[in-house]
Amino acid sequence: MRRRRDFEYNMAQELRFHIERYAEDLVRSGVSPEEASRRARIEFGGVNTVKGECREARGLQFLDELSRELRYAARLLRKTPGFTVTALLTTAVCLGANLAVFAVIDSILLRPLPFPRANRLVTLFNTYPKAGVERDGSSITNYYERRGQIPAFGSLSIYRYGTATLGEPGFTEREQITRVSPEFFSTLGVGPAMGRTFTEAETTYETNSVALLTDACWRQQYSADPHVIGKQIRVDGLPVTVIGVLPPAFRFLSSEARIYFPLASHPQDRIPLQRHSGGNVTQMIARLRPGATLAQAQSQIDAQNAVLEVDDPEARMMADAGFRTMVVPLHADHVAAVRPTLLLLQAGVLALLLIGAVNLVNLLLIRAGSRVKELAVRQALGASRGHVISETLVETMLLTLAGGLLGVVVAAGGIRLLSILGTDSLPLASGITFNARMAMVAIAASAALGIVLAAPIAWFNIRGHLANALQSIARGGTGSHAAQRLRHSFIVAQIALAFILLSGAGLLGLSLKRAMAVSPGFRPDHILTGQISLPFKNYPDEAARLAFTEKLIRRIDAQPGVVAAGVASNVPLSGKSGKSAVKVKGRLARPGESPRALYSYWVGGDYFTALGFTLREGRFLTAADSRSAERVCAVDEDFARYYFPDGNALGKHLFLGSNEGSDAEAFAIVGVVGNVKQAGLTDDTAQGAVYYPYAFRTDNDVFVAVRTAFPPQSLESALQRIVRQIDPDLPVNDIQSMEARISDSLTTRRSPALLAGLFSAIALLLTAIGTYGVLSYAVAQRRREIGLRMALGAQPAQIRSQFLSLAFRLLACGMLLGFAGAWAAGRAMGTVLYHVPALDLSILAGAAGVMCFVSLAACLVPSQRAARISPMESLAEE
Amino acid sequence: MGKTVDLLPGTLDMLILKAVSLKPLHGYGVLLRIRQISGEALEIPQGSLYPALYRLEHHDLITAEWAQSENNRRAKYYTLTAAGRRRLREETAGWNRLACAIAAALNTTPEEL
Repeated sequence: MRRRRDFEYNMAQELRFHIERYAEDLVRSGVSPEEASRRARIEFGGVNTVKGECREARGLQFLDELSRELRYAARLLRKTPGFTVTALLTTAVCLGANLAVFAVIDSILLRPLPFPRANRLVTLFNTYPKAGVERDGSSITNYYERRGQIPAFGSLSIYRYGTATLGEPGFTEREQITRVSPEFFSTLGVGPAMGRTFTEAETTYETNSVALLTDACWRQQYSADPHVIGKQIRVDGLPVTVIGVLPPAFRFLSSEARIYFPLASHPQDRIPLQRHSGGNVTQMIARLRPGATLAQAQSQIDAQNAVLEVDDPEARMMADAGFRTMVVPLHADHVAAVRPTLLLLQAGVLALLLIGAVNLVNLLLIRAGSRVKELAVRQALGASRGHVISETLVETMLLTLAGGLLGVVVAAGGIRLLSILGTDSLPLASGITFNARMAMVAIAASAALGIVLAAPIAWFNIRGHLANALQSIARGGTGSHAAQRLRHSFIVAQIALAFILLSGAGLLGLSLKRAMAVSPGFRPDHILTGQISLPFKNYPDEAARLAFTEKLIRRIDAQPGVVAAGVASNVPLSGKSGKSAVKVKGRLARPGESPRALYSYWVGGDYFTALGFTLREGRFLTAADSRSAERVCAVDEDFARYYFPDGNALGKHLFLGSNEGSDAEAFAIVGVVGNVKQAGLTDDTAQGAVYYPYAFRTDNDVFVAVRTAFPPQSLESALQRIVRQIDPDLPVNDIQSMEARISDSLTTRRSPALLAGLFSAIALLLTAIGTYGVLSYAVAQRRREIGLRMALGAQPAQIRSQFLSLAFRLLACGMLLGFAGAWAAGRAMGTVLYHVPALDLSILAGAAGVMCFVSLAACLVPSQRAARISPMESLAEE
Repeated sequence: MGKTVDLLPGTLDMLILKAVSLKPLHGYGVLLRIRQISGEALEIPQGSLYPALYRLEHHDLITAEWAQSENNRRAKYYTLTAAGRRRLREETAGWNRLACAIAAALNTTPEEL
């Protein structure tokens, strides 16, 4: 701008200098000074014209033109505040909603993982589909057998998530940790910011007392100590030496791990017999060698598995279970579960944008229609087509860019709303923010929207209708039929899209309703649950752990309001699967039958009473069973029905693991309990579950479940206090009421349904505005005609029904298209629906009813207005 | 004035380049110089001079800077750039070829056919 001022100043100076010099020369030749100055001016010509030509010569004319057009557009928009506000809000809401959802999609699905050439990273897992185990991670044996042996992989590593107690006694904290094999960081392509990573020598239990800190841990817990390397820290009560610090940006997938340790193993963990003992705790990643493909890696893994199978004693059983090792891209695998829902949301919100855009085009067309005369006159007076186009473009761009700016505000709010609705707990969700990249997307989208909207308007404005328009205005006629048809087809499209959104939202809502109606199989009210990890150092064996749980249950029972308390290795809907194989004594596998993995629980105290299980036969396991040496167990109905179809499960024996052992190791079935939903309310496949006394539990994680007469949250602090009293080093994690767990397990259904409902509400509003606008315009445009007809004897009711029938026709066409679209959308949504068909009649009828109500309500006012037109006034107007 | 001729379209730029190639000049000076070197035969319309100067400056054929004029006033002086010198050479050669060709054509006599 400053440069521009200088330019103008200098130009004026230069031209003045010229005129003055010329005048001086004239004076010198004998002309009087006044006459000289006059002649100099005349001969020079129009100074302003010359200045204009000079500016044009310097390419400055364009900017002048633009700023003039901007001012003109702004003035026009200010003159029609109703239109401007509607258009701005429509743009803001539609663009903002899209930006918010796109921010989520971008962070989770689009942005590559933060590693060099991240698209070369893959994950491998064993699958036993016929045994009901879709995914079992990888075993230590897999790792030792595969590394360096698969040519398609440049590097291969395993890792295991876990937790550890960090800190000095009395100040301990339970932290997320990850144990990794030495190649882990080089596979990812990440080096330490300080120190070194793990070595091969550190993979035994004798040598694994070393740790790598994440940057966050180093800064927060060790105040960014530059000499931290070599220092000793306390992990689960044992000293560990810090050997390195990871770079600030390092984060593996969605891991919250603060410290990394070497993944140590015994030689007996690495033998072929342990090949299938992954148990989904140890995971494998690998980096494809340059030039190698995923398909090559898969076939090399398949080939290796086939070779190893030859001398595997379990080969036959694994083949029956459908065993295979899958190689899949790491990023895609990590987000696979949320991908369909996110894409569905993006599709829904794009439909919303489409509806909004159609609305804007209609409003702009109507607006252009009201300026036909002005534009026609201007074009007749010499305004060029380019001029009219650029004017239209400037006006719509001004609208969409301003709307986009507001949209950024909407998006920022939308991202907050989405995080409340649960995007925070999605994988890779930490990257969901409104950043520079999103701002670029916002600007680009606004500009693109402006261009798309301007195209039909510009076409309408410049179409060779000069003479036509002037004539038709003079006649007060009906304007252009083409434009009217265009407006009407836009309304039809809008109704169809809104209908699809509405029925989609209905399907999601009905799915949610059906999922919520599912009984979990126990009474989830008034139960508080929490998780405790008993470190091996202080709780080395079953006896020590049992002593702890006995003491815990006794003290909880003493609390006021406690009805029953129990412990278990896992609780339903905890997100942990906990499956293992079972062998029924004396039972021969049916031909072709694969071994089944069953949910296995080790329960103590009054676990069944605390959770409110139903008893079908025999008895529940009780606290006494954990104290006695007698091996008993309870099974669920699915188990009983599968293994004992004749209904005589009680008294039968089974073995832990897939092989039959000695009679002393057999567990006798003493009870059959009702089925419960293990993994989620909508998990319909019968899996079977076995419950053993807690005394036989060999793992160190334990859940505590308490049924109270009071609201379960009221017991929370008491539970924490009791655990701390027994062992000051032990925190209780993941404390939640059972109802909260159930509610959380439905988030992935509830949030999309809520969002879809919100989108359809906005879509309905936009459709109503659009229909109302177009019909109002039609009425206004045909005032003269209506007035004439009424003067000739037409009844108001006839006029009204004429407009209503137009509305009905548009509605019918839109809904017909909408039905087809809803069917296609329903089919595309198949994976996220629960017990709802793609085409549900009640939902279609409901959506149709809502659509009818909204569009007819929007039509009523304009139709009424048409019926009330006074013939005298309308004919006298022009 | 009887001896002045109208400028052919497209020749103004060439003349301006020639004028400033001899010596840096301000706009009014360019006008006087062209009149002088054309033997008072060419009269530049004053209004069209400045757009032409600005166009040439925009295309980097000439540059301008402010300096004291001969009567001690600030004036904008134009100088030829390297690109401008090149352009002048090309246009001069082109013009000469054209002039020769037209002259030859106009001087043709029936005997030469």
